[in-house]
Amino acid sequence: MDLQRINVKFFVENPDGILLTDFIRIFNSWIQASDGEYYDIADYHHVHAGPGVLLIAHEANISIDNTGNRLGLLYNRKQPLSGNNQEKLDFVFRSALEFCRRIEEEPAPQGKIKFGGNEFLFLINDRLLAPNSAATFRAVSPDLEKIAKTLYAGAEFLMDHRNDAREIFAVKVKSLVHFEVLELLHNLQDHGELKKEGSWDTTRSLSK
Amino acid sequence: MTAVESWKQKLAHLMPPDLAREIDIFETQIELRKQGKIDERVFAETRLRRGVYGQRYDNGQRHDGVRVQKLRLPSGGLTKGPETVWDAPGMIRIKIPFGGLNPEQMEVLADLSEEYADGISHVTTRQDIQYHFVHIDDTPSLMRRLAAVGITTREACGNVVRNVTACPLAGVCKDEVFDVTPYAKACSKFLLGHPDTQDFGRKFKIAFSGCKQHPCGLTSMHDMGAIAKKKVVNGEERRGFEFYVGGGLGAVPYRAQLFNDFLPQEELLPIAQAASRVFARLGEKRNRARARVKFLVANLGIDEFRRMVLEEREKLAADPRWTDYLSRLHEWAEKPLKPGVSLDGSERPAGFDAWYATNVYHQEQPGYVVATVTLPLGDITADQLRALADIAPRFVKDTIRTTVEQNLVFRWVSEADLPDLYKALCQIGLGEPNAGTIVDVTACPGTDTCKLGIASSRGLARKLRTHLSEASLQLDEAVKGLRIKVSGCFNSCGQHHIADIGFYGISRNVNGYTVPHFQVMLGGKFKDNAGAYGLPVGAVPSKRIPEVVTLVTDRYVRERQRGESFQDFISRIGKKEVKAMLDGLTKVPPHDVDPSYYSDWGDPREFTLTDMGVGECAGEVVSQAQFTLAASERELFEAQIYFDSGDFKKAVLTAYGAMVQAAQGIVKTQHYDISDNEEAILSEFQQRFCDTQLFYDKYAGRQFADYLFKAREALKSRGEIGEDLALRRLQEAQLFIDAAHSCYKKLSELQSASRASVAGTASPGEG
Repeated sequence: MDLQRINVKFFVENPDGILLTDFIRIFNSWIQASDGEYYDIADYHHVHAGPGVLLIAHEANISIDNTGNRLGLLYNRKQPLSGNNQEKLDFVFRSALEFCRRIEEEPAPQGKIKFGGNEFLFLINDRLLAPNSAATFRAVSPDLEKIAKTLYAGAEFLMDHRNDAREIFAVKVKSLVHFEVLELLHNLQDHGELKKEGSWDTTRSLSK
Repeated sequence: MTAVESWKQKLAHLMPPDLAREIDIFETQIELRKQGKIDERVFAETRLRRGVYGQRYDNGQRHDGVRVQKLRLPSGGLTKGPETVWDAPGMIRIKIPFGGLNPEQMEVLADLSEEYADGISHVTTRQDIQYHFVHIDDTPSLMRRLAAVGITTREACGNVVRNVTACPLAGVCKDEVFDVTPYAKACSKFLLGHPDTQDFGRKFKIAFSGCKQHPCGLTSMHDMGAIAKKKVVNGEERRGFEFYVGGGLGAVPYRAQLFNDFLPQEELLPIAQAASRVFARLGEKRNRARARVKFLVANLGIDEFRRMVLEEREKLAADPRWTDYLSRLHEWAEKPLKPGVSLDGSERPAGFDAWYATNVYHQEQPGYVVATVTLPLGDITADQLRALADIAPRFVKDTIRTTVEQNLVFRWVSEADLPDLYKALCQIGLGEPNAGTIVDVTACPGTDTCKLGIASSRGLARKLRTHLSEASLQLDEAVKGLRIKVSGCFNSCGQHHIADIGFYGISRNVNGYTVPHFQVMLGGKFKDNAGAYGLPVGAVPSKRIPEVVTLVTDRYVRERQRGESFQDFISRIGKKEVKAMLDGLTKVPPHDVDPSYYSDWGDPREFTLTDMGVGECAGEVVSQAQFTLAASERELFEAQIYFDSGDFKKAVLTAYGAMVQAAQGIVKTQHYDISDNEEAILSEFQQRFCDTQLFYDKYAGRQFADYLFKAREALKSRGEIGEDLALRRLQEAQLFIDAAHSCYKKLSELQSASRASVAGTASPGEG
């Protein structure tokens, strides 16, 4: 399966007291610091358990998402990625975790926001490519397991998939060991460097 | 896993063939635009007529509060309309005639919002659904998935008949004369894509109402409004409509005028068709600001407009669709899922009573109620919409509708089921009360996504909702029933004119800065089908608008006379007094004292008008001839595909079809009603453009016209068609279509010159 429209969500560890509206200001500062990368901000803090506040861009949207009543950072890749599945996953996870790190470093009024690294939701936002079925899970599992092993540096983890043809394909991955966002980024980095010594060409742009 | 098929393949058996074909055509048009084979102006109107709309910043730049950023969009110069970058996300408007939805459709709408948009389905003030941040390349798949459940986006935007709206209580209302739903449905179906509705200078909106006194249909503010009426004729009770034309909001609101106080039901569609023809023929085409039918009716006078429409009506060839549906009206009658049982004695969960007081309407049918699902700002998440699709079949059949107040209603709920329905709604965060009250603020998208937005209507609406919900329990009953409506600009998509308290976005220059303001409108009437329009009483800085609401409502509570309506109260105290009351709120402190005034609600950027773009509300005025020429290009493109696949015969036939279509486009410039009959087209083309040499090329003479007639003769002779011949025909067809475009340009120039000459004659003293 050629993985596309990959989404990853890392959950906030300390959601109490976090105001979604604070992210409008945070995302606006990101826009000001960028050079035309981000398109706009969409504010849906008024809806229950919704997409929260989104930072819209051409390639991917980033949002402080409250779907399922669980606050987290959702990285929603929209444009196609090239490379093999591991390269795509590496790119998506690295991007998502970088945004988590960036948010953790923001001086939010309530204090620092922490993302739990030991759990994430992996989604494919394309019902045609990836219907939410056991067959899709079988097809995706090897690649997902591989990236999870890299992220968790060999620590044990569980993959939870529920068949529901109506929902988009989603797998919850949870490690039994606690991880910080920075640790996951380091694990990806270490793995990338190991690969670099081998056959991977990490300098290649993954976006088409 | 097996190879992924496309939505086109997967849904082929589920899509109505005509819808499927239309979407294929649109997909080809997208491809042609990418190849530069369709002019951007024509493509813009083409996509608008498919519901594919522009969105703020789609000109490729955005002010970030400090500077204007050029957005990184990899379009490589490709546009989807004038100043509209291809890769910029856009809005999709989905037509929901009379607001009618079923659970299957709701589920698909939820899926699409998740996969192609930002996870939100937005209910508009005209019962449509909108998605934002959609890439145009995704639209054919999106449309196919909608088509598979019987929904089209066709003519949701552009200079055409927009969504036909109707009272969401139609069929269950205690006061209605009869159920207008089947009429709204028939009207929507009949006028969709009708040749007589394709050449308007502006959009055309139609609404139906079951009664005169209630607001649900808002017929007075529509281009065409029909209110159910019965009349005894020769001892027999007959159905018909009190029929209005020429209403509209926008910058200059007009109340619709009475066209006929009893239009028999049999005459509804023919009169709608005749009025469309008059509007297409006489409506303004060049000045878009005065192109709505309201201006035509005002200019001609209602009597003359009526006379012309009736004269046109007489000329129309009878169409069985005018009355076919009338014999099936009884089929429309909705059926409940369960017997109607009253609520007496049922256990009431916490919060239920407040919800019941505002969100439940007792139907005409005993034991049944309409339950309103309050959607904040008209927004619903994919999860909520999918969950509603699950909840609905537990309580009702396919009897769900969107409302012009941006909510959803479940009709035919057995009253005894309400506590369970309420609990189910609460579980998905949709148990909010206050539907149809002052808290339930209506707003257009404004600066959130609209290119024309001046101020943040949604930002203000959010603030007012919070502000008023906190106080809702303490609000006086007289205030609770008032309506607030907010538009981001004067165009009135938020329908501010018909609110008790309305606002529309403006700006003011203060201390060298541009400051967001709202114009305050008071005294509009939502009741009586939008019975009166409010008056502007003054501009107030955006950040002080919540205080305006408090001030005005408090004074109404304090000083109203017994039984006095808000409109009467405002009228009694007078505009001068109201203005004086607001004076204290109009001052803007210097920037260094309070910078918050210089940014808008929910937007930390310093306020600017830099981001305003060119609106697409009106669309481009593209003639039917231009559309037909564009269609001929598309057909030739298909011919080329046949050629590439080795099907030379089909390539030649299709190329010939493309030439005939181009000829038809040219004929339409002089003979709008030319039929699709090939013989008729060729005969008219010969007579009007070959015999007169209008089609002739300056250097090549009649050569290009000959390609058409030669191709026709060759097809008649049924000779063998090989690759060389097919290639030649394709080339000739291309040259013919190019010549048709040149001819169209020449005709347009002649027409402009003629207009200028007439204008010069009319004003001899000028200059």
